[in-house]
Amino acid sequence: MVLSQKLHEAFKGTVERITGPRTVSAFKEKGVLSVTEFVEAGDNLVAKCPTWSWESGEPNKRKPYLPPEKQFLVTRNVPCLRRAASVEEEYEAAGGEVLLDNEDNDGWLATHGKPKGKPDEDEDLPSMESLEISKKDSVKPISSNMGGEEEDDIPDMEEFEEADNIIMTDPSTYLVAQEPDDDNILRTRTYDVSITYDKYYQTPRVWLTGYDESRMLLQPELVLEDVSQDHARKTVTIEDHPHLPGKHASIHPCKHGAVMKKIIDVLMSRGVEPEVDKYLFLFLKFMASVIPTIEYDYTMDFDLGSSSH
Amino acid sequence: MAEHTQKGPLLQFAPMQSLVDEGFWHRLSSLKLNKLGIDDSPIPINGFYAPCSHSQISNHLTLLAESLPSESNESLLAPDTSRGNRNKCSVPGILYNTNTVESFHALDKQNLLKAEASKIWEDIQTGNAVEDPAILSRFLLISFADLKKWTFHYWFAFPALMLDPPVTVNYLKPASQWLSKEEVESLSAACNEWRNSRLTADVPFFFITIDANSCATIKHLKDWETCQSDAYKTLFGFYDPCHLPNNPGWPLRNFLTLLSAKWNLKRVQFLCYRENRGFADMDLSLVGEALITDSQGEGDGVPNVVGWELNKGRKIPRRISLSQSLDPTRLAISAA
Repeated sequence: MVLSQKLHEAFKGTVERITGPRTVSAFKEKGVLSVTEFVEAGDNLVAKCPTWSWESGEPNKRKPYLPPEKQFLVTRNVPCLRRAASVEEEYEAAGGEVLLDNEDNDGWLATHGKPKGKPDEDEDLPSMESLEISKKDSVKPISSNMGGEEEDDIPDMEEFEEADNIIMTDPSTYLVAQEPDDDNILRTRTYDVSITYDKYYQTPRVWLTGYDESRMLLQPELVLEDVSQDHARKTVTIEDHPHLPGKHASIHPCKHGAVMKKIIDVLMSRGVEPEVDKYLFLFLKFMASVIPTIEYDYTMDFDLGSSSH
Repeated sequence: MAEHTQKGPLLQFAPMQSLVDEGFWHRLSSLKLNKLGIDDSPIPINGFYAPCSHSQISNHLTLLAESLPSESNESLLAPDTSRGNRNKCSVPGILYNTNTVESFHALDKQNLLKAEASKIWEDIQTGNAVEDPAILSRFLLISFADLKKWTFHYWFAFPALMLDPPVTVNYLKPASQWLSKEEVESLSAACNEWRNSRLTADVPFFFITIDANSCATIKHLKDWETCQSDAYKTLFGFYDPCHLPNNPGWPLRNFLTLLSAKWNLKRVQFLCYRENRGFADMDLSLVGEALITDSQGEGDGVPNVVGWELNKGRKIPRRISLSQSLDPTRLAISAA
């Protein structure tokens, strides 16, 4: 963690401790949510999109201002069929204007703090529908779990396959042909996506836990391949999850209020009166521009004017 | 193996797949350090699964932090789970966590698996599995938690009682092709209602009757003996974590064994219940007819069992290193 981020976290933590949670609605004015509004919007999300559920998380991390059984929202096993990074590179290869800055190739890991002096063109994302899944694989095959860096001197159990007959040959077991080590196949990752309430920014906040195609935990850094590259370098941080153990990738909420305010303004200018219990649907639609290939569910019959803005 | 007297190909089941959340290893580490010490008695745990909810990926048997008993519990009772969460149907399991890598290797895997299989078999005989069908999917986990290196070696088994000769399949097709349009509507509505009620959302095995007016009703297995009446169509349904179009998922295996051993059914129409984005999807769901010619007869011993999970097609344990998130020295450095 860089120092500035840590200082900010410490500051934010202090402010959160000494200030009470928001109780007055400022949904239309500031694009933020009070605690009750978060719960209301969460209830509506769970009701309309049943792949989402409320969870209570680690007992010792419970926030007193949220109901114990409604601490955060989660949807598990969400497919991510291709890498956002490679989608963008394909777009670029196809002659599209994509902002990739490869001069020092550290883009994957630089999570924040160095905006690279690029203009903010957040809306400049390729449309998913118009892209073809390409032949050439621009993302390196993913090494699985976090086994890597320090070589284990335990006699590698994975070396010797069980010799004895512990796995009986069973004609009724369907064995999927083993995936070839071929870089051209699409590597399906899955994600657990959670939404917490950020008391400091008074907005929801999205957290990602990724698994590779053999269901092993992805290092948070590899998760950045599934974040739109424009955001991966700026707005995604790796931090302690407020309700779960371990470090998780999170989309930093500092701009959420402002963006939500913009979305709400646009809706209102079209004569649509936004309702606070729809907040999370709008929010998740906005998040889809950051994590375009993670197919979480946020669909509902809700008129946003035109869906292809 | 007896000759197949029945026509039709073998029914092949897609193995259950495991997924372990980081939180599980965190809680196991702290249980081990703060409470268990070198006590390596088996620990009751809970796994969670849900029906497949996407046409391209299967669901898994997932372990979370709450799969383990909490440290504050006096005894190692099975962790209490809040029932009724449709995305977390609870399945009982048992964890053998060894203290050394040698004892991990030395575990008698075949006998551990047989022990779990005989629990399932007994639950079928006594009728416990009819009352609480989730126990049909009982699972086993062996592990070695290397808390010096923060590395975890582990291996899952999902015991499946083998029918001999193996079950054959008469047909297997999308439910939407097997049912009439009206039946699809009625069954989808009934399934959605079952999944939405806290009382039934996490009950993964059930049966369905469809009357002559295309009206589908879902019932608990325990009502079978009183309800097997004049239904026009009867289906045995289960939450299918598998997404494959031509194979039912693993939970069907012990379900068929129950239907054969307990109720002597030889021809079973089953529904592999699957969802799309949280709603019943009768194009993804499958209906099939299984033919059982179990020659074991009653009173025999526990059937043979299979179920150790393969790791990328090989008979080896899995391993995960969590030193980055668990090792206090590293955490201290990164926090400095």
